[in-house]
Amino acid sequence: MNELLNSLTIQGRESLSPKTVSIAVGMGTCGIGNGADQLYDAFAKAIEEKKLAISLRKVGCMGYCAAEPLVNVYIPGKPLLVLHRVMKRDVSVILRSLEKQSIPKRLILCKISCWDHHSSISTFGEGYPDVIEWNEVAFFRRQKKMILRNAGLIDPESIAESLAVGGYSAFFKAVTTMKSEQVIDEVKTAKLRGRGGAGFSTGIKWELLRKASGDKKYIICNADEGDPGAYMNRNEIESDPHSLIEGMLIGAYAMGASEGIIYIRAEYPLAVERLTKAIDQARSAGLLGKEISGTSFRFDLSIVKGAGAFVCGEETSLMASIEGFSGRARPRPPFPAQKGYLGYPTNINNVETWCNVPIIIGKGSAWFIKTGTDKSPGTKVFSLVGKVKNTGLVELPLGEPLSTLVYEIGGGAPGREKRIKAVQSGGPSGGCIPADKFDTPVDYESLAEIGAIMGSGGMVVLDQDNCMVDTARYFIEFTRNESCGKCVPCREGLAQELELLNRIVQGTGTEEELELMERLGQSISDSALCGFGQTAPNPVLTTLKYFRKEYEEHIHRKHCSGGICEALFDALCVNSCPMHMNIPAYLEMLKENRLEEAFESTIRDNPLPGTIGRICHFHCQMRCRRETVDEPVHQGEIHRYLADTMYKMGREQQIYDILIKEKLPATGKKIAIVGAGPAGLTAAFYLVRLGHEVVIYDANPKAGGVLRYGIPAYRLPREILDKELQLFKKLQVKFIFNKRLGTDIHLEQLKAQYDAVLLAIGAYEHIDLSIPGAELKQVVQGTEFLDNLEKKRPVKVGKHVVIIGGGNVAIDAARSLWRLGASVTVVYRRSKDAMPANKLEIEEAEAEGIKFVFFAAPLSIKADRKQSVRALEIMEMEGGTFDTSGRRRPVETGKTRDIECDMIVIAAGEKVDSGLLERQKVATTKRGTACVDSYTYHTGTDKVYGAGDTVSGPSTAAEAMGLAREAAASIDVDLMGIKRFDKLFKEFSFSHEPPKEIVMTKQTTTRHLDVDSRKGNFEEINKGYMGDQARIEATRCLRCDIRLAGRG
Amino acid sequence: MDATKTLHFDSEPYDAIINANKNNPGALLTVLEEAQKITPHQYLPEPVLRHIAERMNVPLSRINSIVTFYSFFNLKPQGDHTITVCRGTACHTRGSKTLLEDVLLKLGIDAKSTNASSFTTDDMRFTVRTVACFGQCALAPVIAVDEVIYSNMTSEKLEALLKKLTARRPKS
Repeated sequence: MNELLNSLTIQGRESLSPKTVSIAVGMGTCGIGNGADQLYDAFAKAIEEKKLAISLRKVGCMGYCAAEPLVNVYIPGKPLLVLHRVMKRDVSVILRSLEKQSIPKRLILCKISCWDHHSSISTFGEGYPDVIEWNEVAFFRRQKKMILRNAGLIDPESIAESLAVGGYSAFFKAVTTMKSEQVIDEVKTAKLRGRGGAGFSTGIKWELLRKASGDKKYIICNADEGDPGAYMNRNEIESDPHSLIEGMLIGAYAMGASEGIIYIRAEYPLAVERLTKAIDQARSAGLLGKEISGTSFRFDLSIVKGAGAFVCGEETSLMASIEGFSGRARPRPPFPAQKGYLGYPTNINNVETWCNVPIIIGKGSAWFIKTGTDKSPGTKVFSLVGKVKNTGLVELPLGEPLSTLVYEIGGGAPGREKRIKAVQSGGPSGGCIPADKFDTPVDYESLAEIGAIMGSGGMVVLDQDNCMVDTARYFIEFTRNESCGKCVPCREGLAQELELLNRIVQGTGTEEELELMERLGQSISDSALCGFGQTAPNPVLTTLKYFRKEYEEHIHRKHCSGGICEALFDALCVNSCPMHMNIPAYLEMLKENRLEEAFESTIRDNPLPGTIGRICHFHCQMRCRRETVDEPVHQGEIHRYLADTMYKMGREQQIYDILIKEKLPATGKKIAIVGAGPAGLTAAFYLVRLGHEVVIYDANPKAGGVLRYGIPAYRLPREILDKELQLFKKLQVKFIFNKRLGTDIHLEQLKAQYDAVLLAIGAYEHIDLSIPGAELKQVVQGTEFLDNLEKKRPVKVGKHVVIIGGGNVAIDAARSLWRLGASVTVVYRRSKDAMPANKLEIEEAEAEGIKFVFFAAPLSIKADRKQSVRALEIMEMEGGTFDTSGRRRPVETGKTRDIECDMIVIAAGEKVDSGLLERQKVATTKRGTACVDSYTYHTGTDKVYGAGDTVSGPSTAAEAMGLAREAAASIDVDLMGIKRFDKLFKEFSFSHEPPKEIVMTKQTTTRHLDVDSRKGNFEEINKGYMGDQARIEATRCLRCDIRLAGRG
Repeated sequence: MDATKTLHFDSEPYDAIINANKNNPGALLTVLEEAQKITPHQYLPEPVLRHIAERMNVPLSRINSIVTFYSFFNLKPQGDHTITVCRGTACHTRGSKTLLEDVLLKLGIDAKSTNASSFTTDDMRFTVRTVACFGQCALAPVIAVDEVIYSNMTSEKLEALLKKLTARRPKS
């Protein structure tokens, strides 16, 4: 190193660890987009005004974009503090607290005591015992910062700081101690693979250029990061441009190239600016140009800006673009190493590939291959975006499972109780990976095996509110637009593929067209000229492979479960309600004081509006446009209010009369329904109105199924249920009670007597928990306990009861026992977040004083000398890695303990009684549910259909009713040969004016019975809305069902 | 020939750009980019294209191929303010399509009747366009107004932003 570099290095060390307090603001494009520039200015102004002895710097980005703006604060001798979500108003707070050497806790993300730059180590200091280290933060814990080793810590506009942390040291090592062949060998043994997507061996590629003959050779850096959803190259350049330059210098030396070009997209102005500065600085420092650092080696770099064409990321198009032409692909061979830019031998590598080079040369290949997998060593930077809490750039060793990326680092879905559905990896050339494949390791081979690719590292997470057909359509629209148009398969094929996808999202596609799409995609892959066209059909092919059901739902059911394809629905809430209740209609009619009609509209869609309005999971609220303003509208409470009010006023009869009057003429067809639960009742409601004779059989003495024998009365008063059941009798549904399928009645017999049989037997069979002591007298099943309670059978209640389980049955049993005077503890083997029970129910249980023990797996039940339950022995668990359900696997700690109790309720889950179905000769699925056609609900056994939990497994009452509604329509078509179902519904006219002004208001809360008044009784807790409350809540609806011109 | 196509314009600034990039093999793109930047309303009128073709000694057809290939080039005058809606994957999954529709609707632009990739209001105040990706994916959805990026957008935030913009006095 020469004197100039030495003095720069010293200067850099001083600015990195100054003797004064130092503040550094993270100023990547993303930080600036979150206000980091204004924050920097505010710091500068305040420091200037107060004449503070504080050094202020700009640094790059640490990658934790969701927590930006990030600010580093350094007090000499102490660890570096990383502050997050720093706002302008925090500036004065920070400066003031710095005087006292303490920073407000809410701003502190973590500390960095020591940092490994791999080319040097920065030791900041000791202190802040209460603050966690950076690698204890969930977002960083599993990361290994190799490429991003300097990002967020050094000033990217200062070559001095880069030199101070060891920048260019690998280059000096190569140029002074290694022959060019040795450098190539090192890259080869490091098994570095192209980080741009294809994963080709970088060393082999380098060797090709090295061996190519030609008086002039070029190396090119592909920084045309066009993959939508990927931005790692932007940050790599913005945060540490000198690493890229160093990588290219080493490459140039190894391959014998004297000129390099960086082709960068113009959409990254900051990256262009910083790279330009860095190149100028390197040139001034004698690191670029002739006779670099006194050697005979010469190399210089220039920048070419792209002009917005995705296809230019493909290497032959990229070279055409640099030459000043339209970026159209050229056939290979000749390969760039033979004949590339301007006809000269050329090597092209991605930004991140170049950035790996200084690490490999600096630390050696033997060190490098310790990270990652055998075939894919090293790390990869991923841009983790879309529907995850912690978005940002993540650098992970290759081979980590996707679940680590999505759940552990990403923190799962951001929305309330939202389920992650898939990850789209690799951009438009990549594929969609379903959540159940999240145990796939992220490396080149494993991803290719499941039809996706690693690509440049874009990972876009999709949740239940995304539509996979729309996602495929989005990418094909993108590639159709970006196709260079040179070859027919890509230009015409993608246009046709898009046309087919458009038909599906519009609801006009057919099953045959799915086959056509698959064949077309395959032929484009096989015959397109370049990598762009060959991979463009991947999004369609992978979604067809893993999410075919969603395509079919669009085709057969005209339903988009994600609520994206707007041609298929009016309002989001209607779309997500399993019964597709016309919610805007009843809300608007309530506002217009048309109570009877509002109720009529409700009951046509849902024969149990008062019941379901109390116990629903409120699927409608999961997708309410109002949530983007403040909180979702409580649509369910409103239909409960409508029902309660009508019943109170005794006006329901007139609506019942309308339904009775419009019953279709008798068809002479007889239908048996087995099961009087939500599904059976719903099917009966529609079938009887269609003119069929309907008989419901049930094993219990009364109707209602789980509504009566599962849900405790404090959630659903029996008067309401009984009231609503009257409608069925009035419509002349016949009930036959105390008849159990398989014991008192048999399918063969029903088939002989009836024209159709619908099985709606629910999912009542408990999942066995075979632990020693489960046979003791004081051990009961949750479902049996609730059933006994309803049937007023004598139940011996213990003093200290332990409930095993985390579902709704566990909570219902716990809260019922608490009401009966027991002290109750719920024991669950996973964490609280992982409990499948309704979140509101858990909160209420906690309010009632029910204790919870999490991460506790039952081992055995201990008895005293009289063979009575004495304690539950549990194994203490801890959260392990994430499983594909997005929850941490419970892992045994080896520590056991006893929880004393005298009664135990087991509520480990329920399932369909598959044995019963099999004995009745109904085919079952692997999950034990009845096997039915997804759209006709026919079981495959003549005349026999299935609906509700019987076919879906345990689900919500509304979901069961939704399936039953469709099954009823299907049975009617099969019996009558024509579609008549729509006759059961009615169009109501009501106002179609969206609200003019939106005032922020929270969801209206209902009156609740206070906790003290709940003990010793089963009085209903939720008292529902009062009249004006219901009306206020209805006015909160944004009326997203109204489509404005230009939408749709 | 249309009168505007032969319209005289001050060629001096364009010549300066051409001279500065003369020896660079890929200069054509850079020249076109910079020429667009110095042209009022940020576009490339045909006389400018003809002039560049002549001075750089390349066929006009090649220039035409380039300016129609890359999305960066505008062949029509742009509005005073450019609103760019990011249509990257992350933005798409977080509802950028609705945002785009909202912008067009609020500015009274009928996007359905044309196939264009950018839309300018009749009063030349606003141009609405899309970009494949800003690389701001972690803050999705994002839109940019005159290159200033606004993150985590919602229809409601957008409406407030547009209100502020339309309240500004038009450039004279």
